[in-house]
Amino acid sequence: MKRTLHVTAIAVLLLSASAGATNAHAQAPTRPAKKASAIQVLMIQSDEIKLPAEFQISLYENLIQQLEKKGGFQHVYRDGDHNADGVTDLVILRSTVRGFKKGSEMERNVTTVAGKTSIDIHCQFTDKDGKSVLERDLNGKVRFLGGNLRATLDFAKKGAKLAHDNFAANPAS
Amino acid sequence: MVQRTTRRSLILLAGILGATAFPSAAQQPDTGTKVVQVTGLAGVKANAKGSLTPENGNLQFDDSKAKVSVPIHSVEDVITGNDSERVFRGTLGTLTMFAPYGGGRFLSLFRAKLDTLTIQYRDADGGLHGAIFTMAVGKAEPLKKELVAQGARTSVPIQETSAASNAQEKKP
Repeated sequence: MKRTLHVTAIAVLLLSASAGATNAHAQAPTRPAKKASAIQVLMIQSDEIKLPAEFQISLYENLIQQLEKKGGFQHVYRDGDHNADGVTDLVILRSTVRGFKKGSEMERNVTTVAGKTSIDIHCQFTDKDGKSVLERDLNGKVRFLGGNLRATLDFAKKGAKLAHDNFAANPAS
Repeated sequence: MVQRTTRRSLILLAGILGATAFPSAAQQPDTGTKVVQVTGLAGVKANAKGSLTPENGNLQFDDSKAKVSVPIHSVEDVITGNDSERVFRGTLGTLTMFAPYGGGRFLSLFRAKLDTLTIQYRDADGGLHGAIFTMAVGKAEPLKKELVAQGARTSVPIQETSAASNAQEKKP
């Protein structure tokens, strides 16, 4: 009798422990990965930092090109594209220039170590309702050789990777 | 002596014939502004060389492989490299010079002495595109004027004359 009670008590303890563990697992602050079939890229903003128009365009176009190249999204929509309106699982990328360090291509060509140009951009991913789902600061650099155009390409590659790793519905593609 | 004179005359004649048979570049019909399409034009490779012509309400880019046309009425902004510099070097530039994180310094995309023309336009679905062209110095401003005359919009008004702009900038 005493033994039966003992076994029952252990069983109850084990059951409650497993239930607790399941509960704890359910309540753990796991960040649900919001996968999206499409992404919309908005024009690069630089309200605080004045950037020449060609720089903004280069950042924007390179970002779109890199996202298309990287794959994982069925569609990469441009700013203002009406076709994005009907997509329910759309993620929107807003990029804002926060600062830059002006380097020198000539210095880079001569020394290959000095003259780095770097551009800091804040990336915010939102859902269709404007709710922020991911924010990250990225930068584009041209460290050794090449024109400032390469800094925009460097940012675009990083931005595309960030989007792909976090939101791409078909990451393998 | 006679032989030498004949030879000279023949060379001269050949020179004249050659010059008239092959028209010089200056005599060729104007085929647009020679540009390099840096990025942005759909269907054209980066750094493609070609000519840019505003014609019959379209901005046409022609290179040996592609011919792309953008309706001028869809162009929302035309900005030259000089426009950007004017914004930065003018009063606004001076004031923002004191801003943190490089706010007031002019960060140029290209090192070489080139004119740039940047356009922003919408496709049929409303999608925003941007395209950057580089060209020889002094070519971007006339191209911008022609585009604006044909219906393109610009966020930086065209400068009438450089003298007038200098006078304006010098005004306290």
